[in-house]
Amino acid sequence: MAVEDFQPRMVGFLCNWCSYAGADMAGTSRMSYPPNIRIIRVPCSGRVDPLLIVKAFQQGADGVLVAGCHPGDCHYVEGNYYARRRLALFRLLLEFIGIDPRRLCVEWVSAVEGKRFSQVVTSFTEELVRLGPRSEVQVGA
Amino acid sequence: MQQIRDKAKELLTSQAVDCVIGYGRATDGVTSRPLFVYEPEQVEELIFDKTCTHNLTKYLLNRRGKKTGIVVKPCDSRAINVLLNEEEIKRDEVYIIGVVCDGVVETRWNQVGEEKQARCQYCHQHTPVVYDFLVGEPPEESPPAPEDYAAVAEIEAKSLSEREAFWTEHFDRCCRCYACRQVCPGCYCTECFVDRLDPLWVGIRIAPEENRIWHTIRAFHLAGRCAGCNECERVCPMNIPLSLLNRKLVKEVDELFGFQAGLNEEEMQPLGTFKKEEKLGIGE
Amino acid sequence: MARIGVFICHCGTNIGGVVDIPRVLEAAKEMPQVVFVDGNKYTCSEPGQASVREAIIENQLDKVVIGSCSPRMHERTFRNTVASAGLNPYLLEIANLREHCSWVHGYDKEEATAKAIELIKMAVAKVSRHEALFPKEAGITKRALVIGGGVAGSQAALDIANAGYEVVLVEREPTIGGRMAQLDKTFPTLDCSACILAPKMVDVGQHPNITLRTYAEVRKVGGFVGNFEVEILQRAKMVDHTKCTGCGTCWDKCPEKVDSEFDLGLGKRTAIYIPFPQAVPPKPVIDTDHCRHIKYRQFMEEGGEGKPPPKCLICEKLCPAEAIDWSQQDEIITEKFGAIVVATGFKTFDYTAYEEFGGGRYPDVITSLQLERLMNAAGPTDGEVVRPSDGAHPKTVVFISCVGSRDERKQRSYCSKVCCMYMAKHAIMLKEHDPDVQCYIFYIDIRAGGKDFDEFARRAQEEYGALYLRGRVSKIYQDCKKLIVLGEDTLMGRPVEIPADLVVLATGIEPSDGAAELAQTINISYDTHNFFVEAHVKLRPVETQMDGIFLAGCCVGPRDIPESVAQGSAAASKVTDLFSQERLVTDPMVAVIDAMKCTGCMLCATICPFNAIDSQTTRDGRIMAVVNESLCKGCGLCTAACRPGAANLRGFTQQQLLAEVTSLWQ
Repeated sequence: MAVEDFQPRMVGFLCNWCSYAGADMAGTSRMSYPPNIRIIRVPCSGRVDPLLIVKAFQQGADGVLVAGCHPGDCHYVEGNYYARRRLALFRLLLEFIGIDPRRLCVEWVSAVEGKRFSQVVTSFTEELVRLGPRSEVQVGA
Repeated sequence: MQQIRDKAKELLTSQAVDCVIGYGRATDGVTSRPLFVYEPEQVEELIFDKTCTHNLTKYLLNRRGKKTGIVVKPCDSRAINVLLNEEEIKRDEVYIIGVVCDGVVETRWNQVGEEKQARCQYCHQHTPVVYDFLVGEPPEESPPAPEDYAAVAEIEAKSLSEREAFWTEHFDRCCRCYACRQVCPGCYCTECFVDRLDPLWVGIRIAPEENRIWHTIRAFHLAGRCAGCNECERVCPMNIPLSLLNRKLVKEVDELFGFQAGLNEEEMQPLGTFKKEEKLGIGE
Repeated sequence: MARIGVFICHCGTNIGGVVDIPRVLEAAKEMPQVVFVDGNKYTCSEPGQASVREAIIENQLDKVVIGSCSPRMHERTFRNTVASAGLNPYLLEIANLREHCSWVHGYDKEEATAKAIELIKMAVAKVSRHEALFPKEAGITKRALVIGGGVAGSQAALDIANAGYEVVLVEREPTIGGRMAQLDKTFPTLDCSACILAPKMVDVGQHPNITLRTYAEVRKVGGFVGNFEVEILQRAKMVDHTKCTGCGTCWDKCPEKVDSEFDLGLGKRTAIYIPFPQAVPPKPVIDTDHCRHIKYRQFMEEGGEGKPPPKCLICEKLCPAEAIDWSQQDEIITEKFGAIVVATGFKTFDYTAYEEFGGGRYPDVITSLQLERLMNAAGPTDGEVVRPSDGAHPKTVVFISCVGSRDERKQRSYCSKVCCMYMAKHAIMLKEHDPDVQCYIFYIDIRAGGKDFDEFARRAQEEYGALYLRGRVSKIYQDCKKLIVLGEDTLMGRPVEIPADLVVLATGIEPSDGAAELAQTINISYDTHNFFVEAHVKLRPVETQMDGIFLAGCCVGPRDIPESVAQGSAAASKVTDLFSQERLVTDPMVAVIDAMKCTGCMLCATICPFNAIDSQTTRDGRIMAVVNESLCKGCGLCTAACRPGAANLRGFTQQQLLAEVTSLWQ
């Protein structure tokens, strides 16, 4: 498969108050970004269980994005601080078993950063195109 | 050894405990096995030597509400602290006979190894961290060294695809016997995530990609809680190097958060707290 | 087997113009458990909602997916639609086909359609795991707490009290009145500030529904909307206000003189004092840091020796009501409230950061608030505008705008809004005080946006001869009795040098001291400048993210008196709105813990940002975690942290999110 043909499969876990709203703003401002990402709404980035991330990879995701509020701005006060620790540690473990850490992208996007959201998704998509597909794709449990 | 027996006898006769969990000689005559002593007369069967690799802490979880004595090595005592922290056992229900230990050896049926186990070679905790009665003289501790994580570094030196191949080869052999989970003191959930049917996190299929989820998440559930007793690897019938996964997280938790599990009776586990200003490579 | 209905909104051409909706509907028909599909031009409109309602009833649908704009837009609307069809409103999932699809992928209709199909598939998978949810009810304590007794807080307290509810107003200073009490005249009408404020202050002091706690601070806030529990620190006044008549003998005779905070260092007050004549309550407090008797007492308590007692206790000796009470201690008072209004106001920027303006070394460089005190007839100079250095009347007065505002380098990039107007006011007032005075105003822009504001600003120039120089001041230095002001007149394109008698700096507005700590105590958000954050800047300007906590006045951002008063009333209306309900209905999307799976490790309780999880001991002695549904805000931290999977967040359960993941790319 030629590199240009490869369409990465991407999941995004976006927190309702900041990043999901930021993604909405990208829409309101008619920013464009590649259509690969599938967004799952969560109340807080701290809601993202590592189990959901591994299942997403198992389902065929080439990349997983987790986006939350900037540290200090979490709607639930401190959810993103816990998310930061949890995801930083989990990413290191994934890397240890052979999953490229660049495939788990964690970003802070605020409700007014529509342009930034579209940039994050665009560069993540481009990065995944460069990285190529995850080696084995086993769909369904 | 005699000190352990005497103390056990004292505990049982005075009825301070109604059971002492310690080590006895296995039926092959050379290795050891867990021993549950209920009568004072039985205490002569208790032993302690370099074949005592088992972490007996897990048994405490079956004896909640009852008073128990237990013989622990330093690594095992750290597991006790983790359980105390998580309020799975009560301090006043356990009488801890801590034994100063300078390492145990590999054992198989009727075989006793010569060299100390790999995990004992990088151990810096030769004195139990919690005890009611100490057996042995606490030695000088050596300071931690980078070589402690040599096995982890070996994996880290591989490329991503080499790592994936390495782990796939191992996970291919996993038969999902869950011996690793059963022996681990940190794995005490009444219903483990792997057994859940709804949500079905790990499929019933025994295949590398399912096994990968099982082992990765089990290791992650032990992040900041693993006492490093290596029992998981010892009991694995397929010789999967499970300790590497846990050790990797022990290393990262130490480097990122300056934390080692089980050193204190009261501690805040790293995933239960945060620092506002910490830099963890996310969003900076 | 559920009976799921899928409704796709065209949203005019917003979605329909990009996404091939008929194709999406066809695909939706094949999705598991979907029994009905339909398209709609504008689902949120009356006819649109009606058609959804009818379809639910006619087809006995028990779960609904709506593909439309963002759920952040219309989740509430469509929940009501579903409820009106007799279905539990939580049996709905919205797929974001507009903001996350048609609006960002308009360049490729094929891709947008494929993605829309996937988004619908995800929503169908999620909704298939939805369960009916039922809000709970809680009681409301119909008492309000107002923090801050400036004009905004006072207005809020009066409105709530007039509506018939009890209010406790906590004010840190010995008197209410805030910054407005320090002003002389107010723009654009030039009425006397104290004249319009004092009646409000008196009303607050005398209102039967208002308990005024001055010299007090809020220390701790717990609980949740309708059920707050607050600890108030009442500082010891050393004067029994139930006996004191406010006769004034004590502060008249007190020998200890201290710089007056109210007069911003330009005048003195005594150790036993009221800050200004119209203080409410009109009864004094003793400043224990400066009272001679108290200082001696502390010295002796700490084991001091060798100092004779001061010849004082004059207040005690002279007080006709025997109101001095040296035994008073600071005390903590705990009270329950249903709502809190935060109106803690502002202070002005400390201009000593500007070395170029003398860094505080020149006594004749003053702030605009200090000028107000000079102009005020009850001020330290009895209303004579004189130079602090030698008491002479200034003839040349220079004003400098934007000191500590609109300045990136001083981390104050915002505009303080009111300064242009009050500089014009000062120019007019000074001319009225002294027809020979000449005012120069260095400005960047003139911001005069309110009713009659622009006309007022022009009057200062046209009728009162104020000279407006567009430019900034680079330096002020002392030359004998004059202050030489070096600036620029950019419209004329030349530098300017003015020998001034008095320089007045329009210092910027910033939140009062302790704002950040108070925000942390109450658990509301604050920004990098320590201003408190509204729930929504445009649509919810007096609410915070925390239910039951409201904001008014300059603690949110720079604003003038009419705006602060309006916000005080607005916040009060939110409070009375809350209190008009009999019971509080709580959000049912909270966490719930399966006792069979919980191992009692309490990691969830440690993590919960709202302390909503408690431990309970079962009859057989096991420890279990239990969620207090009134406190739970539905963040899901517990659910992600729980290893055995005992905690689960309703509305975003593990099953629902996993269903979304496993529906992908099939």
